[in-house]
Amino acid sequence: MSELTTISVTVNGEPREGRVEPRRSLADFLRQDMGLTGTHVGCEHGVCGACTVLVNGRSVRSCLLFAVQVNQQDVLTVEGLSPDGVTLHPLQQAFHEHHALQCGFCTPGMLLTSLELLRDNPAPTEAEVRLGLAGNLCMCTGYVNIVRAVLAAADGHAASASTAAGSETAESPPGALPRFPTGKEIA
Amino acid sequence: MKPAAFGYFAPRDLPEALSLVSTYSSDGKVIAGGQSLVPLMNFRLARPSHLIDINGIGSLSGIDAADGRVTIGATTRQRDAGTHPDVKVQLPLLAEAISYIGHLAIQNRGTVGGSIAHADPAAELPVVALALDAQMHVQRTDGQRTIPAAEFSLGYLTTVLEADELLTATSFGVPPAGSGWCFSEVARRHGDFALVAVAVLLTLDAAGKVGSASIALGGVGPVPMRAGAAERLLVGEAPTDPVLRAAADTVGADVEPEDDIHASADYRRHLAGVLVRRALTTARARAAVAGNEHV
Amino acid sequence: MSATSHATTLGTNWVGQPLPRKEDGPLLTGRDRFLDDIGLLGMAHVAILRSPYAHARILRVDASAAAALPSVLAVLTGEEVVRVSRPQRGRIPLPVSPQVYALAHDKVVYVGQPVAAVAAIDRATAEDALDLIEVEYEPLPAVVTPEGAMAPDAPILFEEVGSNILWHDTFPYGDVDGAFERADRVVRERVTIHRYLSTPLETFGSIAQFDASTQTMTIWGSAHQPGQEINNVAAALGLSPGQVRMIVPPMGGGFGNKTRPIYHILIALLARKLAGRPVKWVEDRRESLLALCHAADGIMEMEAAIQDDGTILGLKFRNIENEGAGIDFAGRHNLLMLSNIVNCYRVPAVSYEGYSVVTNCCPVIANRGIGKPFMCLAVERMVDAVARETGLDRVEVRQRNFIQPDQFPYDTPSGQTYDSGDYPEMLRKALALLDYDQLLVDQEAARAAGRLVGIGIACGVEPAGSNLSYGMLISGPSQLLSGQGEAARVRMEPDGSATVYTGGIESGQGHSTALSQIVADELGLRPDQIRIVATFDSHSHPYTQTSGNYSNKFNGHDTAAAIGAAGKVREKLLARAARMLEVAAEDLELAAGRITVRGAPDRSLPIAQVAARAYWSLNDEAPDDEPGLEALHYYRNPRTRAPDAQRRLPVQMGFSAAAHVALVEIDPETFEIEVRRYGVVHDCGREINPMIVEGQVHGATVHGIAAALLEEFVYDDDGQLLTTSFMDYLKPSSADVPMIETDHLETLSPWTPLGTKGIGEGGAIVAPAAIASAVEDALKPLGITVSGLPITPTRLWRLASQGGKRYPI
Repeated sequence: MSELTTISVTVNGEPREGRVEPRRSLADFLRQDMGLTGTHVGCEHGVCGACTVLVNGRSVRSCLLFAVQVNQQDVLTVEGLSPDGVTLHPLQQAFHEHHALQCGFCTPGMLLTSLELLRDNPAPTEAEVRLGLAGNLCMCTGYVNIVRAVLAAADGHAASASTAAGSETAESPPGALPRFPTGKEIA
Repeated sequence: MKPAAFGYFAPRDLPEALSLVSTYSSDGKVIAGGQSLVPLMNFRLARPSHLIDINGIGSLSGIDAADGRVTIGATTRQRDAGTHPDVKVQLPLLAEAISYIGHLAIQNRGTVGGSIAHADPAAELPVVALALDAQMHVQRTDGQRTIPAAEFSLGYLTTVLEADELLTATSFGVPPAGSGWCFSEVARRHGDFALVAVAVLLTLDAAGKVGSASIALGGVGPVPMRAGAAERLLVGEAPTDPVLRAAADTVGADVEPEDDIHASADYRRHLAGVLVRRALTTARARAAVAGNEHV
Repeated sequence: MSATSHATTLGTNWVGQPLPRKEDGPLLTGRDRFLDDIGLLGMAHVAILRSPYAHARILRVDASAAAALPSVLAVLTGEEVVRVSRPQRGRIPLPVSPQVYALAHDKVVYVGQPVAAVAAIDRATAEDALDLIEVEYEPLPAVVTPEGAMAPDAPILFEEVGSNILWHDTFPYGDVDGAFERADRVVRERVTIHRYLSTPLETFGSIAQFDASTQTMTIWGSAHQPGQEINNVAAALGLSPGQVRMIVPPMGGGFGNKTRPIYHILIALLARKLAGRPVKWVEDRRESLLALCHAADGIMEMEAAIQDDGTILGLKFRNIENEGAGIDFAGRHNLLMLSNIVNCYRVPAVSYEGYSVVTNCCPVIANRGIGKPFMCLAVERMVDAVARETGLDRVEVRQRNFIQPDQFPYDTPSGQTYDSGDYPEMLRKALALLDYDQLLVDQEAARAAGRLVGIGIACGVEPAGSNLSYGMLISGPSQLLSGQGEAARVRMEPDGSATVYTGGIESGQGHSTALSQIVADELGLRPDQIRIVATFDSHSHPYTQTSGNYSNKFNGHDTAAAIGAAGKVREKLLARAARMLEVAAEDLELAAGRITVRGAPDRSLPIAQVAARAYWSLNDEAPDDEPGLEALHYYRNPRTRAPDAQRRLPVQMGFSAAAHVALVEIDPETFEIEVRRYGVVHDCGREINPMIVEGQVHGATVHGIAAALLEEFVYDDDGQLLTTSFMDYLKPSSADVPMIETDHLETLSPWTPLGTKGIGEGGAIVAPAAIASAVEDALKPLGITVSGLPITPTRLWRLASQGGKRYPI
């Protein structure tokens, strides 16, 4: 084992610290050091997308990032979408209502990819959803209901967009991300 | 599937980075986006003793459009490059190519410089760099040089970069207004490395004839290749269907693809011709005759 | 069955409703706990050294340098495994069965075979230590094709067998010779299928902890059949099954793949060596693709005796199945194909000759529909060939040969009794779903414009439940294992809610939701009042050797066990309520949380009040009563039996069916294949939860489409697997497949409590055949026929450019 490095990371809005080997992936850091096991590891070579999290508001493969690389950065995991573990984010609700998950192993990555997708394109077509999710493999659903759920969540967002406008503040921690963060947050 | 242990440096400025690159030139490795390097490390196919992480160096990231060139810093994320207004307007060929790279999460992290320096012959960006005659800006502790794209790649995952050199930026010449472009590829699935990738740039003169043609291909040999014969055949001709077809038909003889489990060499050779013809057709449709660029 | 009739007479309220799943909450919020999410104090982490050779003698293993590392806790090599454990044999007793240990000791027979294992303080360190283990191999010639393995000079994998043919037999049923004599003509086909796998996104894994004082091994592990795994581990370690506690955490997909007892044995051996310290191994993706298991590749030669009107009089099959280097599942693909070999068709005479051959490839295990995808592909290719040869329409040939609705229950030559179905209507509906007539018009226009557009049609049966006696077709009566059943325990809690424990395992199919709907109807409760303890634990859950999640057995067996147990609870509840209300139990109704005297709505009690008394007020007990409201039910399928004298055997216990229609377009220059539309009409009898049913159809169908067009394990001649990552083993993404359009047809099974039939496998069984049919139809202008999978652009182009007429070359 090589030397440990101390890192500070904002995880789901909370400042956290950890001591890691440089070779510790962000996925393993989140799972094993932070206890956030909702981020799943499916291939460890950047293809399956199960480990997708948002770093500074953008989707990344957490198996292809070393934890030391996110020092001083901002990470959102699936746990951050529902901080109490009970209240569902509208996307989670849409997945539930449309039976968009079976074994559920891909679901955290799907949710975070969908979150970014809808933030950047609030009213996507089916083709755009299919392309946008193409980096996340699901072995159970054949994608049909996932695509339906994301489209439904987009519809729901469009309906509530006017009421949500103006209620967001720049200080909002990622754990309390506005339902669909605006595009400027990643600029 | 965990990588072998390594030491990690995150230099804050370029001189520090260059010094580290020089110090660990024998078995260290520069990491930018890491989207190709880290899988290799996880499989333990790559075992660098040290990683030099250049993501924290602000001067290596950004897009600068001036004097007929667009210069993209090495650590500029592919996604940022592909959506940047200057790139979309002035280098639509590059923007189109980026849309083929992996998936959003890969583009979010992957860098323009990383892809070019990694030199996978089936990757999109080296092909575009070749088509656009890009210049690679390279630095070392005691100097710098500029390498034309045509001279940059030496073989599969191998470039002319010396072990103590760092690719800092890639500079693309902006094609003349009215140029037609097309990037296209065939892959087994959306987001996969291309079986064959094609980048085409076409300008038409005032008479509607081909003023210049640039055709680059990936996936057809150890390095991206220019289809010289096809380019020569096009220049000075009216870009009719038979002319485009004749040009495309020469491509097969120029390329040196290999077999792998996804495509045989002869299938790749065939694809190269088909894709070049189709890309030329699209580029022709997008091109404006000189003097009518505003149309 | 009395419980069933209660539910039916009361009107089943919850069964049939598309309720969102109760499983979803923790999965959506990242709070579920899969195997790899379990951490125990002091846990050691394992990495496995695997063979780089497909076939080699092991001359020397030196792990001393690895063992000497301070961060390494234990090292295990084959020599020690042979000393401290007993070997595994195939699940079906073979004529001569090789002995297989958890680690190779004298030789390796496939790339990726475990050779040594290291337990260290973390996984990365364990992987570091693998570098320090020296293994000296003497490479031997390898063989990767079954035909190559059958050649007289082939290298032999298991010397004790004497050849690479583990098993070979012929099963004639009916008057086959007569059928061929009477035939107007004989149609011949040779169809091949490749190796692929459904690859659950969560890989396989095992955690073991040994209590030396009680000699008890606790295993948290991936498993489809806990009873079998417990016995495997117990036998290998010399323990009683009662000394092995197996816990199966929620599985991130399974598809039959997570059935590899050697890994549980290996991790258990390390745990015993580290007495007390928990030991964890979770397979990485490379290991999984390389060495977990594959679906068998095979070569099927067929002859059909037909009349000129397309009627099939008889079929002959000769199948060579590549078992890889595995004995654990040897013979199973063959026997399950044999059992379903007439598919949806009325074929009175069939002969089936099967070979099970070992090669230096990864062992085969079950994969969604085991054997049946190849059965369906082969038979449907043959039916299309019959249409081709007779000039008849392929829809017409199917309609002519279908088992007709009035023939159910229908006995097939090999001894299956098909329970219900309406295949003609099913196909009609599927064609209507995609507006077949319009597709034909559009296709003609497209062809005139030089486009390659094809419509695929395939039908298939989807069996549900396996009579595990089928191994007797190989072993004879010496096989102990037989029949099919499941166990369940239902406990009505003192607050009137209920808790269910079954031997079934959940891996994403929504069993908890479905069971809660069923039990809610039985007990007059709502599904949210039913708690399903989904994490199987052999210390709390009842089970038998046939328990688990496989063979589509949920619909008829798990449901019957739960209904049986719930029915017993219901009887106890009503008996107690009858005393409290001073009426006869027969006069009581149970619904909406209350027990009511029939015809006297004012005389009723809340269920919770009765339940509380059953636990709290033991003075109330009648002399013969047991306190509490808990019941155990072991369900045994009454229709299973051993093979008869003609070796007919009901292997499959129920038969769903589906008709698939696919629309594909092939680029005439690049030969890229796009699936543009895909329709499925399925008949699984009554749908417990239509939303879950539809999801199963979607997912299974996409497995089948991907198997036909993308997924393929490729070996080189030396037995090296070339597809060991998801970069090269191509899974479909959302951008590669279309929406799956579905419709349902309902013919109730007379044999399951609710009239249900299987649903999890059908899509994967029929889709490969539908895609093959669609591609062949698209290539009609080029005169190319399709006889094998997968269909890839590069191979298709090569064939077309050479003017070939039969795919694959």
